[in-house]
Amino acid sequence: MSEGESQDLVEFDSDPSVRQVIANGVCMRTAVVEAKLDEGNIEEAESALREGLSLNFEEARALLGKLEYQRGNVEGALRVFDGIDLQAAIQRMQHSLGDKQTSKKGRARSESTHAVSQHATNLVLEAIYLKAKSLQKLGKLTEAAQECKSVLDAVEKIFSDGIPDVMVENKLQETVSHAVELLPELCKQAGSYSEAMSAYRRALLSQWNLDNDCCARIQKAFAVFLLYSGVEVAPPSLAVQIDGSYVPKNNLEEAILLLMILMRKNYLGKTKWDPSVLEHLTFALSLCSQTSVLVKQLEEIMPGVMPRVDRWKTLALSFSGAGQNKSALDLLRKSLHQCEDPDDLMSLLLAAKICSEDVFLASEGVKYAQKAIANSHGSNAHLKGVGLRMLGLCLGKQAKIASSDFERSRLQSEALKSLDGAVALERENSDLIFELGIQYAEHRNLDAAQRYAEKYIDATGGSMIKGWRLLALVLSSQQRFLEAEVVTDAALDETSKWDQGPLLRMKAKLKISQSLHKDAIETYRYLLALVQAQKKSCGPPSAAPQVEDDKINEYEVWHGLAKLYSSLSHWKDAEICLEKARAMKEYSAETLHTEGVMHERQGHLDEALAAYINALLLEPKYVPCKILIGALLCKMGSKMLPVARTLLSDALRIEPTNSMAWYHLGMVHKDDGRIADAVDCFQAASMLEESDPIESFSSIL
Amino acid sequence: MDDDQTSSPEKSTTSISPKPHITWSDSYTKAHIAIESLTSIIPSNPPTLASSDTPALSLLHDSDITANISRLLRQPDSGAVDDNLCGWLYDTFHSSELDLQLVVLRFLPVVAGMYLSRATLHKPLAGFESVLLAIYAHETAARNGQAVSVSIPDLSHPSIYHEMKQVTKNSSTELHLAVITPSLEPHGTVRSTRRARIVGVALELYYSKISQIPMGSKIEFCEFCKIWSGQIDPDSGIIDDDENNSERSKKSEGEGRKGRIDLPWDLLQPILRILGHCLMCPGEKELFEAAFGACRCLHARSLHDINPKAILATESLLKLAKMADESNGDHRDYTEIEVTNVIRI
Repeated sequence: MSEGESQDLVEFDSDPSVRQVIANGVCMRTAVVEAKLDEGNIEEAESALREGLSLNFEEARALLGKLEYQRGNVEGALRVFDGIDLQAAIQRMQHSLGDKQTSKKGRARSESTHAVSQHATNLVLEAIYLKAKSLQKLGKLTEAAQECKSVLDAVEKIFSDGIPDVMVENKLQETVSHAVELLPELCKQAGSYSEAMSAYRRALLSQWNLDNDCCARIQKAFAVFLLYSGVEVAPPSLAVQIDGSYVPKNNLEEAILLLMILMRKNYLGKTKWDPSVLEHLTFALSLCSQTSVLVKQLEEIMPGVMPRVDRWKTLALSFSGAGQNKSALDLLRKSLHQCEDPDDLMSLLLAAKICSEDVFLASEGVKYAQKAIANSHGSNAHLKGVGLRMLGLCLGKQAKIASSDFERSRLQSEALKSLDGAVALERENSDLIFELGIQYAEHRNLDAAQRYAEKYIDATGGSMIKGWRLLALVLSSQQRFLEAEVVTDAALDETSKWDQGPLLRMKAKLKISQSLHKDAIETYRYLLALVQAQKKSCGPPSAAPQVEDDKINEYEVWHGLAKLYSSLSHWKDAEICLEKARAMKEYSAETLHTEGVMHERQGHLDEALAAYINALLLEPKYVPCKILIGALLCKMGSKMLPVARTLLSDALRIEPTNSMAWYHLGMVHKDDGRIADAVDCFQAASMLEESDPIESFSSIL
Repeated sequence: MDDDQTSSPEKSTTSISPKPHITWSDSYTKAHIAIESLTSIIPSNPPTLASSDTPALSLLHDSDITANISRLLRQPDSGAVDDNLCGWLYDTFHSSELDLQLVVLRFLPVVAGMYLSRATLHKPLAGFESVLLAIYAHETAARNGQAVSVSIPDLSHPSIYHEMKQVTKNSSTELHLAVITPSLEPHGTVRSTRRARIVGVALELYYSKISQIPMGSKIEFCEFCKIWSGQIDPDSGIIDDDENNSERSKKSEGEGRKGRIDLPWDLLQPILRILGHCLMCPGEKELFEAAFGACRCLHARSLHDINPKAILATESLLKLAKMADESNGDHRDYTEIEVTNVIRI
């Protein structure tokens, strides 16, 4: 290895543009060898290398193969590699290394032999790896996968105690990392998915000493494979489980775990930001409806990695998807700020939608919706109908807290105008048809409401329970109880029993309206039996995705029964049912309401008043008790009339269509001598009474 | 169904003493019977099918016959009680031969597509319903009615893929349990409020076999996604000037929105999973393009519905598809060795 020898052959590193081989301290140009290879004389080329660089047979062949591979001649490379018995070489190395490892820790002595066989190991393993690559390039994927796997098997065999530190630094690690990364890809391309799966797990669960980037690439590729391949293979065995550690049970869990780890690696600064990781994770978590988890992931991303407006928007969507609309709206207000992205349609529409669900936000929502409509042009023109729809909903909501009648009717007619405009653009949108039905119903335009309810049932093929309920309620408010019952029965036919709760409850109320108390009690009994059955089966937990709060509400059943018995003056039974209802829901304005009514009807006026007032303390906007207090006070002499009048007016401000409130207000006016006012009120009451539904229309929403 | 009964004892014996040729001949005869009865419905069966060693798989991949069947399923009067083809699909699915079931699943996009788009038209669709219910019942039995759930990992606990140096003592940071698909009740008929659920479960089964489904079926699925969305592909290559716009909107009112259906999560979730597969594991440009278009339509639809989860999922898919489209295969191969002129050992 003296310098003289190397000078004989070629000067060291003289010209990097010339292909050359350096081994054992000797440098050799490859032109001659290449010429021999081109002539097909593998043996001669090999012996030239062996002599020139003092290599053994396998080393020379491996080197020749690499040379051919680098020259892009993969078929030639394969021919060269075929000449050597790689398995035998591995076995030899295994022995020599095994001897050394068992011999002693006396490093100084074994250093040189170590170094020699290290080269040999490198070369041979790399040769097998290149064989796999060559096969891959020739499209022989299954064979390629086999070769690649044999590299990893060999490494595991040779270094059964892990790769010693001294060897990590060199090319061996590179080959190992390459092989670890290539194997699953080959299996995938060859279509053997279960092998791909185990190759990925082998890559990630064994100690290959991969660098961060390589490991991250494999983790991402595996996550993608798990998420999209549709191949469900057995989850990782419990054997790999370390005590208390999380073992994913299926593809989705494993993919989410890997993606979360990748996100963490990024914010720990171990890897570069890869936007696709977040997108995969977003997709996976949205599929599981776990956008609240996505919120946490988004919050952990370092500032400056993604544009803040994008982050706010995605966060808003995630919050809204998780039902946290308040937080979503806060973020949307930020992203819609003048300096950020004030014209973004998605943000505007989502903000308007959130506002449309809250009377106090409705006026804010109107602005968003108007802006959305103004921005719906060009390629976004198709969203104009959505903007109009949101505008209509917000206006309709705003009308509910309008300060004057005039204002209210103006808002209501504008709401209807917007919704009509939306329907003209989106004739097929069934949600819109339903919303129009509700608007008309609340407006007490019952014929139109009925038309839209029927249209909705038609458009959805009767698949939505709320459509059936709307129609039945509209019919009930037209006092067409028999027809309402027919609709309810038809709906029950189309519903499986766990979803029947709200329909049965309606049916019971319909029976009460027809004074068929026995039938009503029977229906309630059936409902209670259903509740019990559901409890026992502990249920198809969320078998009814149509109704958010899907369990039949036991409280409502008991409360409904209590009201029924109380109306029949069966005080004892009523009290028992009320007790049950109270056990379900301790503080409820409704139960207090019923309790008060029972006291009042038995002549205990003070207790009744106390119950009503308690109900109002719990729910200051609870209209029925306001009316009842007003009615009671009205009977207590002329001094109390102004108080009664205030209460009743307040009730009417909240619920302008409440006939009872109008009636009692009329009584107050009459007692106070304002006959003309009284007449107006009674007229309103009698008109409205004929249009009261058995449950409020907003209960369907 | 006669042959089904006679074959079941045979099957049980094979499970005791596994002799591969028995099961092979069993599935072979079943496939032959299926193909024979198909001949009475579709007259022009090529002779290659009968001579194939794996007739069921040949049928699955035979583009002529499958196109023929798809065409018949799309006939305006298809799917009624007396629809022979639906009867054939029903019987074939009940053969409980995996390959034959694949053949039936291959047509699920057309069956579900035609069914859902027609469900509101007051037409008799008992034929389609019988096929869908058969698939639903199969899946219900396979899952034993159980829900499928996912517990979302929490990185503050160690997992098989990562370690935690300081394990949080507070083990109460419990995992989020997400129900992917709720438990299944048996259904003998399609109740309208359960329609989406039944089709959704059938699509879940389709997804679980999707790596074996031929591309043609997936492309059909993507086309139906576009129809269901009721949206026009906002990026279908048509230039956006006003004339075209009005033309497009006219066209869309005429036919484009005809098949628009409600997309509750029961249905949308499996649809998105299948689309994810078509986009991310396509292998074929044609499928990628079809899935890309379907995704754009569903994204537009999710904006119309202002459905946050659907917006998130479709937007992510769109971004990922764009990334894949832009890189277009020229990403770096990290498994390639470094090519240098100086090879050092």
